[in-house]
Amino acid sequence: MQVHNNIKHFFTGLTAVMLICLTGCSSSVEVAGKFPKPVTNQYPFKIGVIYDDAFKQYEYIEQDEDRVQWQIAIGKAQVELFNTVLAGMFAELHKAPGVSDQGVPIATDEKVDLYFRPTVEEFQYNVPLETKVDMFEVWIKYHLRVYDQDGKLLADWIQTAYGKTPTETFQTEKGALNDAMVVALRDIGASVVLRFPHIPEIKAWLSKQKKA
Amino acid sequence: MNIKSIFYCLMPLFINCLSGCSTVTIDQVKFSNSDLQEGDSVVVLGRRSSGDYETEPELISCVGKSLGSGSDAINVIPEQEFVDRLYPWFESRTAPKSIRDLQRLLNYDKVHQIFDDYNIHYIVWIDGITETTKSHGSISCGMSATVVSCFGFGSWDERAKYEASIWDYRTNKNIGKISSQADGTSYVPAIVIPVPLLAAVQSNACSAMADQLKTFF
Repeated sequence: MQVHNNIKHFFTGLTAVMLICLTGCSSSVEVAGKFPKPVTNQYPFKIGVIYDDAFKQYEYIEQDEDRVQWQIAIGKAQVELFNTVLAGMFAELHKAPGVSDQGVPIATDEKVDLYFRPTVEEFQYNVPLETKVDMFEVWIKYHLRVYDQDGKLLADWIQTAYGKTPTETFQTEKGALNDAMVVALRDIGASVVLRFPHIPEIKAWLSKQKKA
Repeated sequence: MNIKSIFYCLMPLFINCLSGCSTVTIDQVKFSNSDLQEGDSVVVLGRRSSGDYETEPELISCVGKSLGSGSDAINVIPEQEFVDRLYPWFESRTAPKSIRDLQRLLNYDKVHQIFDDYNIHYIVWIDGITETTKSHGSISCGMSATVVSCFGFGSWDERAKYEASIWDYRTNKNIGKISSQADGTSYVPAIVIPVPLLAAVQSNACSAMADQLKTFF
């Protein structure tokens, strides 16, 4: 075995070999982390949030046979993130039942002002052995949709979340990948908070509500 | 020369070799005087906006702990606590990159209030990385049903290079910069088992940076 950069890599390699022997080249992680409530001025509106089953149970399963067969479950963590962020942004948060076959939000019991529906379009990750840098990196491409109270699509945009974390001595790959995922989820939360009032259609809607 | 004398001669050399070797260089520029009063707090944050590296959280935590210990301890707010409390304003992509950005952010009452709650006087931004600059040698390991054994020798040079910018929250000025660079070589001789003799490059850069920050304040 060639010692590449330092002892960290040596032990990481040794651990990886042992894990491969034990698990047959597969590894799984259920993302868990802390998502703080955002410091922001709250909109005086009620929002209904729609999480499709595919979103709630989102799990990335590596298909490339040349890579370690990672199974990364992010559904639970991303629901927790959006719940925390939206609850901080809006006066009231309600869970909407879903969308109809035509893609129109099914009304919540209580009338809401807006509906918000996030979906995952794409997921990618890199581990240090695949790149020249000692970092775990994660990209998640989200499609965010906002509907008005009648279920009419008001705005939709693509928002990319990015997270990276450096390798640390004696930290497991699972732990490092989880940390990078948490950074990426916090990044999407930050983007939603900061970008929301600047999306032209939403900006126009907010200004219309102010005048009313 | 008897065997005891040989032992005493070789012992310091052996102990020195056990920890690897490293050197540290510190530089400081002070633009204006600091005025840290009792009860004032300092927050130490890592820059994470670069694409190809990230200032290690363990280095930031090390500097924070070193500043907060000893007879001349400074009240330091832990990085994660501060970043969580001010979410999403100090994330890697949203954190203020200049004093002007910070001023703009502080126009926001809720953020200003949190800074006041913590009684923050100084913000220390640390940017840098510890990286391997050269590596030599190889180690071969063999595995049988009962035992794993290795043979060979590996060594690598590491460089820890960090720069701290000190912002005064109350006067909205960048009051100085401190840079810390540590270089060192680590070794791993392996006869059956690998024995790592590590140079504490990052922790040396951390202690040097923390000591200089204490002097600065």
